[in-house]
Formats: sequence, C-alpha cells, structure tokens
Amino acid sequence: MRLLRHPLVLAGLAILALLAIGEAVAPGFAGAGQLRSQFVIAAMLGVIAAGQNLVILAGREGIDLSVGAMLGLGALVAGNVMDGDNAMILAGLGAAVAVTGAFGLLNGLGITILRIPPLVMTLGMAGVIQGLLIILTSGRPSGRAAPALTRFIIDPLVAGIPGLVFVWAGLAVLLIWFLRRSRAGLNIYAIGTNQEAARLSGVPVTATRVLVFALSGAFSGITGFLILGYTQSVFIGVGNAYVLPSIIAVVIGGTPLSGGTGGYTGTIAGAILLTLLQSLLNAMAIEPFGRQIIFGLVLIGLMLIYGRQDRLRV
Amino acid sequence: MSLLVAENIRKAFGSTLALDGASLTVEPGEVHGLIGSNGCGKSTLCKIAAGSVGADEGHLRFDGREGFFGTPAAAAAAGIAVFYQELSLIPDLDVAENIALGHEPGRRGMVDGGAIHREGARLLARFGSSGGKGLTPGALVRDLSADQRQIAEICKILARAPKLVIFDEATSSLDGDQVQIFFEIVRELREAGTGIIFISHRMDELFAICDRITVMRDGRTEATLPVATTDREAVLTLMVGSALATRHRDEAPPRPGAPVLEVAGLSNAVLRDVSFTLHEGEILGLGGLHGQGQSAVLRAIFGADPSSGSVRLGGMPHARRSPAAAIRAGLGYVSGDRGINGVFLDRPILENMAIAHLSKSRAAVFRPRAFVERVAGIVARLNLRFAGYDFPLRTLSGGNQQKVVIARWLATGPRVLLLDDPTKGIDVEAKADLYAIIDELAAEGVAILLHSSEDEELLSTAHRVLVFGSGRIRADLAGEALTPTALYRAAYEVSAA
Repeated sequence: MRLLRHPLVLAGLAILALLAIGEAVAPGFAGAGQLRSQFVIAAMLGVIAAGQNLVILAGREGIDLSVGAMLGLGALVAGNVMDGDNAMILAGLGAAVAVTGAFGLLNGLGITILRIPPLVMTLGMAGVIQGLLIILTSGRPSGRAAPALTRFIIDPLVAGIPGLVFVWAGLAVLLIWFLRRSRAGLNIYAIGTNQEAARLSGVPVTATRVLVFALSGAFSGITGFLILGYTQSVFIGVGNAYVLPSIIAVVIGGTPLSGGTGGYTGTIAGAILLTLLQSLLNAMAIEPFGRQIIFGLVLIGLMLIYGRQDRLRV
Repeated sequence: MSLLVAENIRKAFGSTLALDGASLTVEPGEVHGLIGSNGCGKSTLCKIAAGSVGADEGHLRFDGREGFFGTPAAAAAAGIAVFYQELSLIPDLDVAENIALGHEPGRRGMVDGGAIHREGARLLARFGSSGGKGLTPGALVRDLSADQRQIAEICKILARAPKLVIFDEATSSLDGDQVQIFFEIVRELREAGTGIIFISHRMDELFAICDRITVMRDGRTEATLPVATTDREAVLTLMVGSALATRHRDEAPPRPGAPVLEVAGLSNAVLRDVSFTLHEGEILGLGGLHGQGQSAVLRAIFGADPSSGSVRLGGMPHARRSPAAAIRAGLGYVSGDRGINGVFLDRPILENMAIAHLSKSRAAVFRPRAFVERVAGIVARLNLRFAGYDFPLRTLSGGNQQKVVIARWLATGPRVLLLDDPTKGIDVEAKADLYAIIDELAAEGVAILLHSSEDEELLSTAHRVLVFGSGRIRADLAGEALTPTALYRAAYEVSAA
C-alpha cells in the first residue's frame, strides 16, 4: 500500500486512467500516432515547466509569470537568427537562450536587489517583453525555423519516437542530476526550505535566487526555439497559453507553491497528465464552456487525491 | 485580607517541571518584588495568576474570589493587569487606540474617537516630556522607539484602573528619568491601594521601590523578605542556593593554547566595546541574564549581523562580511533556535549535514558516498542514530536534529565553534552527549565559544566565563574566581561585600 501512496505511482495510474478513458471515448486516443503527438506537446510544456519548477522550489513566493513572454522572445530571436538556414540551428538556440537568460537575470536582480515581489516583477517583465515584441515585429510573425529542426522535432528518430522527446529526456536527466548532485541544486532546496539557515550555512542566497530566475528565462527561451521548430513560424503571443499550465504542471507534480520540496520527476508526470487531460477533453467533442468546467473540476480533484500524499523526496 | 494569595503552585510543561511549591502573597497597596535567575519560574507564576497559563496543582485566591482564572479575559475582568515583556501593542494602531483597546468608550458599536484621544493624552501627560519627541496620542506604535513603546504599554495598564498590576521587566528599555517617573506612578498606584508585582533583574530598582521581595529558585519560592530588614547579599545568597555551589569545573585547559580568536572593540546595535581573546582548546563561556549580548557577539563574529571593531582569527584579520566567508575562515555556528537558524526539516539528513561542507569546499558536485565516509566517524562519535541518511530531518527528535547540525559543522573541520545556547529545548540525554563532544573537541584543540542560558551548564563546562550585561562584558571569571556566587554577582550587578 505504501507504494500506492507514492506520488509518482499515483501520477502513473492517473495517466493510464486518462488513456483508458480516452480510448473508450474516442478509439485511437491511445494509439501510437496520437501518443507521439501528445508527447511532443507534453515535451514543450515539460521544458517550460522545468524553469518554473526551479523558481518555485527556491521558495519565498517564487513564481515566474514571464515564461510566456520569454517563450515568444526566444522564438523570435531563434527564428530571425536561423531564418530557414540549417547551418544556423545551434546559433539560433544559443541566441535564444542568451537573450531570455539575460531577461531572466534581470527578473532575479529586481527580486533580490530591489526586493520586488516575484509575482509583480515577473508580471511587469512579461508586459515589457510583450510590448518590445510588438514594437520589433509590428505584430506580424517574423523569422523562420530551419527545416532540419522541424524534421528533428516532428519525425520519428528512433523506435518511432520523435527527436524532441529525446531532447526532453536529456534535459530531464540533466536537471534531475543538477537538483540532486550539484551544489547549486542543493542550495536551491536549502533556500526554499529555510533561507536563514541556508545563509548561516554559507549558501550564497542572493546568487542562487538570481540563478533560478535566469535559468527559468533560459528554459522558456529553449521552449520558444522548440515551438518555432514545431510550427515553423510563430505569433508573438504564442507563449501566453503556457503560463498557467507551467505552474499547474509543477504543483500537480508534487512541488508545493511554498517551495523547498518536490522536484522535476513529478513535474514531468504533471506535464504529461495535463497534456493528456486537455486533449481528452478536446476529443470528447464537448462545448468549450463544458470543457472548461470539466478541466477545472478534474484539476481540483487531482489535487485532492494527489497533492495530499507524502511529497516527493527527490 | 490579602489581595492575592497563590499557594503551593505546581506546573509541568511536558516533562519539565516549571513550578513546584511556588507561593506568593500580595497585599493591597503593596509593591512586591519578584526575583530569581533565568527560568526559575517567576514569569510562569505570574501567567498562572493572570489566567494565561493553567496550573496543575495549588490554590489561588484573588480579591476574595477562590480558584484559578480560566482565561486572561476572566483575570482582567477581575482586575488583574499585566505588563508583558513581549509587548502587547498593535503596531498599526496609534498610541491612544492601543491604550483604549478592548474597552473603547462609545455606544451602540460606535467608538468615540475624541474620547479615546483625550484619555490617551491625559495618561501620556504623566510622563511629561521624558517620552521624547513623537510620543503623542496620534502617533503610530510602529514609529515609536523601544522606551516609548514601554511607556505606551504602561499607560495601557493605567487606563484599566486594575486592582493588581504585574510589571514583568517593565523598565528594561527606560532611561533613568523615565524610570523615576515610572516609580512615581507606581507609588501613586500604591497610595490608591493597588497591589503591584514588580519583576526585575535590577537589584537597585527592587530595593528602591519594593516593600517586600520574594526570591524564587528552580520553580520554588525560597523566601519572602521585607526590604527594610534585608540586603542585596541576602537576596543573592537565596538565589544562588547551595546545590549549585559545588558544581563547577576547576581544572584549566590541559595545555595553554595559542590565541585563536582575538576580538577588540566589537560594537553594534546590541554590543558595546566587547574585547576578549579565545585560545586553542579553550571553552569560553558567555553568561549573564538573558539577551545581554551573548548571542549578538557570536552572530557578529560569524558575520551574520553587522558590527564594528576588529576580530583576528589565527593572527589574520577576519572581515566578517558574511557567514560564507566565516565558514571558509574556519568558523562554525550552532544556534539553539534550530527551527529558524539551523535545520532544513524537509530535506534529507545527509544534505542537512553536507550543506556547510559544500559551501566551504566550493565543490560544484556533491558526492554522497564520499561525504558519508567523511561523516561516518562523526555520526558515531555523536552517538547519533537514524534509519537512513535519506530520511527527512523532521523524522528525528529535537536532540538528534541538533546533533545533525553539530555534525554539519564538524564535517567542515572548524578551528572555532560558536555555540549559541545549543542545548535549548533538547532532552537530557542529548544534552549530556553534546557536552561530552564539546569537551572532546576542546581537548583536540578546537576553540569553543559557548553561550548557555543555564548557569549550571556554563559552570560545569566552561574553563572561563565572560558575564554580559547591557551588551558589555561585566566580568571575566576563571579558576578560583569562577563560582556560582561570582556569576550571579556580576549578572545582577551586586558589588562584593
């Protein structure tokens, strides 16, 4: 029974249940082709939620509402650097990460040095970036993905699984290792659990908090790069739909909004759950308002059975 | 008939006996002093009288009414007012509103703001201009200085026209003039037949204002003495008692070590020009009444709070920029306030032990297996047992949590350990283990600065004790001079007979 109480086991069971319901409602829902596209979408959410996860883990009401705008910024930068040229893929990724990482750094500095609450700072930053994007592009899509990137993201790479899923898996392994084995990762948990005790143990509190916001910016930039590859060209507002889901994926993944405990393993499950739920509701062919009601109720229900279990010790 | 009679009160908090055989009698129109060392039970006794803590056994009579008060409100309604050490003012209300709080004039749910401010002004006027600038009925409490808040708190009590007032450390923030005015007010209350319990650590004040003094020790009432026929020496002797007198450490450190920590002219918001030298292998105790600068010294040296003055560590200047810098210089700091300053309850035991070592080594990667090898010896030495390094720290008892914090610092191989009341709130067995390890570390040459709120622990552990008062070192006691009486004498500022 102990095993059943483990959040990851619960998340796995919930995912299987969603697939079963989906298959019953709309045959083919759990088929290979469907699953492939589900995982591509989940991977996008998973990468952007990785940055959100770090910010929330570090505590002190940490939250990043600028991830959506950052995503748009990353896509714009990457698209203009690549502009359809396969040779410029890595340069595009690097540029996107550098620019969004820098804006994330500004978030971190505003929150630590100027002591602006994270909610306000990142919301303000989202507005600033959104405005900049409109000025720079006049509101029209700008820049193109390199064709090789698009093929890598969508087409099956090994065993029918698209390259993007491997990218996500690689990032996940790196991030989980980072949180468990690097000094910076342990410092994030330390300041999220007890900031004063962390300071008295020699943890560089300010630097660590700035780091999580910079990383969150960078992860949003990577997501923008990936989404650009997926859809080839993007509107600047593309990221807005990711802001709340990135937070929800973290929270149903077992990291409380107060921070200090939880980890990325749960967030992966959270991202998959959320993606399947949304696509199941789409498949059920219900009116949009009915979909919203069910979505909301299921989320609340998930937190009832799931958020009260022993939290992940990762 | 006596105003207040409390007889043979007994009160246990968990396994700790706070009061056993505590008695106190206060007459109408009497100022009754209450004195005793830290944790002797005088505050608990007053809280029982005022209904905010229940008693296990005993008997209480107030103003002809038998029985204990069930709630503070019941005691207040009967005419008992308490001046709390932790002030009860609300920062975002103004002075007059605070004074009137709970018995605002007005009717049908409407408050008469004008009457509140007139009454506030009348009471504040008693302190004349001694309250200083800004102490007006309309001033917000959050903008007041510490002494002004104490004055506002005193006015709040006067506004209730009580039959018995308990002043618990009411003068601690007041200056000389303000204390004189406070005494005048106390004398007026006495003239009016009010009974007054006056708790203070300042012997001079007790002898200046009280009619009788009750001395408490270890939860018992030792004696009640009329001030006219007693002296400070007699009070001090009763406070020290006989049990303590034999329990002190007489041996010097095994070998006279080199100076490790040289502190000169350390000052900040709490500290006034503190200077001393700590040697290799020495256990230097910091004693005195609660909160006189003992913790502030440790925190300043560790770089946790800002300070001026100079500190040299192993002959080199120690800049005190941050705890991180102090850790790299070879310092370690253990606080008795584990919850705030020490533990990461939701994190694994292993990480709780590793965090300072990681900071000190600046290694980018944490290698759990190598670290477990490093701490295995320390864990065994601390007599520390747990189900596994991966378990969250909250699964351990308070004593074992504190041992994990000690292990955290031992893993860094410190030259100087700063211990800030490290045994606060932990069980007797864990205490004994901690003191054993402190002795061993000193024998190995680690220099230890130990603040303890329990005088017995200082006397049985420290080679030398600095007694603090008002942020200064009042006495430096070692060898023959380090006796319980000398410790009390310095803490309570009683000059040698």
